[in-house]
Amino acid sequence: MSQQATVVTTAPEPKLWAGGRSPYNVSYGKMMMWFFLLSDALTFGALLISYGTTRFFSTVWPDANQVFKSFPFMGESDLPLVFVSLMTFILIMSSVTMVLAVHAGHYGDKKNVAKWLLWTIIGGICFLSCQAWEWTHLHSEGGWWGSFLDAGIPVKDFAHFFNLHKVGNVINTNPDLAKQSTHLFFNYFFTITGFHGGHVTSGVIFNILILVNTVNGVYERRGHYEMVEKIGLYWHFVDLVWVFVFTCFYLL
Amino acid sequence: MSGHHNSNNIQHLYEGDQSKLYSGVLAHHSDVNSEESKKQVGRIWKIFWFLLVITIVEVVMGMMFSHKMPRAVANFIFLALTLVKAGYIVAVFMHLGDEFKGFKVTVLIPLVLFVWFIIAFLADGGFWLRMNNESPSRTHVTSAPANPNEY
Repeated sequence: MSQQATVVTTAPEPKLWAGGRSPYNVSYGKMMMWFFLLSDALTFGALLISYGTTRFFSTVWPDANQVFKSFPFMGESDLPLVFVSLMTFILIMSSVTMVLAVHAGHYGDKKNVAKWLLWTIIGGICFLSCQAWEWTHLHSEGGWWGSFLDAGIPVKDFAHFFNLHKVGNVINTNPDLAKQSTHLFFNYFFTITGFHGGHVTSGVIFNILILVNTVNGVYERRGHYEMVEKIGLYWHFVDLVWVFVFTCFYLL
Repeated sequence: MSGHHNSNNIQHLYEGDQSKLYSGVLAHHSDVNSEESKKQVGRIWKIFWFLLVITIVEVVMGMMFSHKMPRAVANFIFLALTLVKAGYIVAVFMHLGDEFKGFKVTVLIPLVLFVWFIIAFLADGGFWLRMNNESPSRTHVTSAPANPNEY
């Protein structure tokens, strides 16, 4: 070993891209997580672009301030965007607790990694609970995959999803267009928030797994907490996607 | 910049578990109460407040103002704020800002595809919007439903 070391010191420094080292100082696992997230970004991008195209070519479209105006335990309240703002706040908050867990991991601070991971898991579960309520609520109003397709559905069943000051005329003269828009809106809404919710669910499961590993000292023995950082990348990505879903469904 | 794994002098760690290459512990991050650590935590919270304020601005705008201004202007502001938020999440929370330039470029270049996505979506959507509004067959179908009693 010492002989080899002497040889190495006299030999020229190996070229950066000649193999045997990581030119970007990024480990294989972390780089692959980035590339997975890149492919996932393209999948979400395709879904959102498809939604955008459909919305763009529709003469009328359900109004977010009408569809999303309810809040749990507030009855027939008119609180547009308040509930979804709460969901957004929860997810941003859980992103912060995750990055604090990653930070603690850089310092090998096992106790704080566990603490912040626990908060992240709680945040994720809160978000999923909110989403479950929202889905249930919209379902009770008639929205679901494939809903508002039958010709016999009366106008009053979907008129309340629209801003009648803006589209009242179209709804009365051409109810088929409004009904088709409602149908497409709910298909996209449940597909895209469902795909995102699936990511949150698997993120919570991953977080629970690495919390168990952290508490059991697996990463302490390994000498580093890179796994927390890799799962952290995934979790932040889920937050990132929500930023776009929030804009596309609730704001635009 | 936290610079927690940008040292070039740790190649000997590459044997075996290559994840050690950038482990914070081995890059001499030992004191969680150090100035550097506190500075990084402060930065994380600063970004959090920043993201929160942007979200509040978006929501207030969505609730009160977006219907009173031209739709194109409102949408432009919403999309710009969204991209700012996304940029901070990726650069700070995901630490992409701390990576080597080559790696940043490698991750970000494929996203150029979205430029084409958006051009295609505007062209396709514009075409169908025209078809929906002008096509005679469409008007025919919607103005004469099969069963006139259903409305």
